[in-house]
Amino acid sequence: MSKKKILIVEDESALNQALGEFLTAENFEVISALDGAEGAKIAIAKRPDLILLDIILPKKDGYEVLDELKSNDSTKDIPVILLTNLESAQDIQKAFEKGATTYLVKSSYKMQDVVKKIKETLKM
Amino acid sequence: MVSLFFCGIIKTVKQKAKINNGMKFVNDFNLKKQAKELGVSVWQTPGFLFLVMGVVSFAVMTATYIISKNYDSPEIVVISESIVAIIMLIVGNGTVRIVGQLASVNKLKSDFVSVASHQLRTPLSAITWEIELLLSKNKKGLSERQAKSLETISSLSCRMTRLVNDLLDVTRIDQNRLILRKEIIDIVDITEKIIEDFSSLSKARNINVFFNVNKKRIPKLTGDPERIKLVVENLLNNAIKYVVKRGKIEIKIIRRDNFIVFSIRDNGVGIPEEQQDQVFEKFFRSDNVVKYQTEGTGLGLYISRNIIEQTGGKIWFQSIENVGSIFSFSLPVK
Repeated sequence: MSKKKILIVEDESALNQALGEFLTAENFEVISALDGAEGAKIAIAKRPDLILLDIILPKKDGYEVLDELKSNDSTKDIPVILLTNLESAQDIQKAFEKGATTYLVKSSYKMQDVVKKIKETLKM
Repeated sequence: MVSLFFCGIIKTVKQKAKINNGMKFVNDFNLKKQAKELGVSVWQTPGFLFLVMGVVSFAVMTATYIISKNYDSPEIVVISESIVAIIMLIVGNGTVRIVGQLASVNKLKSDFVSVASHQLRTPLSAITWEIELLLSKNKKGLSERQAKSLETISSLSCRMTRLVNDLLDVTRIDQNRLILRKEIIDIVDITEKIIEDFSSLSKARNINVFFNVNKKRIPKLTGDPERIKLVVENLLNNAIKYVVKRGKIEIKIIRRDNFIVFSIRDNGVGIPEEQQDQVFEKFFRSDNVVKYQTEGTGLGLYISRNIIEQTGGKIWFQSIENVGSIFSFSLPVK
């Protein structure tokens, strides 16, 4: 079975790298972006199986990236898990309205739990 | 024996509630306490200013009565009433200014905590994830001592994350901005998972945790899953922390009319009777608990009460020092 491709869009390089390495060890193929504009571009070009997306990002924030992905036929069906440290009800509601599949607060989740959510979402 | 004891306690809870209401009124005028809580001088407390306003109003009414009775001259009455109006204006203005200052300092403090906490969360997440990566995927080559050090750092970093999260929650509660999600939750499932998560800690402390529930009787509820989980975690964590010797913790979930009632009973240190009315206050830690456990902020129960009440339930407890405590909360079945 081919490896599932995950795109990580996270500007904090330490988090991006740690999560990338963890997912690689869990047998995923990982691609990553350090800002929103690059994330949207890579998503359209590489069509990953799932996207992990931060909200506060340089160039384009997570909501703008979501809008762009959901309005593009080639990426609109890709599940997007928002992975952020914002947790107000307004942020969560806005994310779901814009088409996010799941919303996770980074500081409350270990990477192992993030992997569980990815597997649940991809029905693995 | 413990059961009999708790039955006795329940009877006195209602009487205590009445006494507590009276005490609350007296506390509103405990100026020293108010000044300490607000960080101002006694003469700047709202209670003191309220009393001054009362005394001034009374003096003014008496003076106006005496003047109008003894002097026929309308000029004197007008002058005396003008003086009275000026005094009232000065005192009133002082009151409004001080209350305004207090509100603005409070907002500044809350904003500071909120910004600082948000900025702390990202590096804390990075630390926690890096250690997780090291311990789970790159453990090869680490000596036993190095792995143990990393586990300690990981646990301390989780503790700091919890503290930051608690401070953020308290800020939101103080600003009436704690907004809860409304999702379908399974309280039995949540409790089982938390008991499992705490199993190493309870075993290490030689504590048996029993969970008593008839799953078929407990319906799904509506609430914020993360926050309800936090409440159960806080209660179980407290119960484990404050059992001193070999202990026993019993968790029970039952249905009572249109509510489910969760209760957790321990044979821990209990709460001294004279401090029981402060248990759900911010930063409260009872004197006997501080002796046994230096770790703890006293924010858990304050946050838990707000979460439960905002979800439409109630939280309460019964406790006796050196015997144990039962903490309970109810949640509506919708």
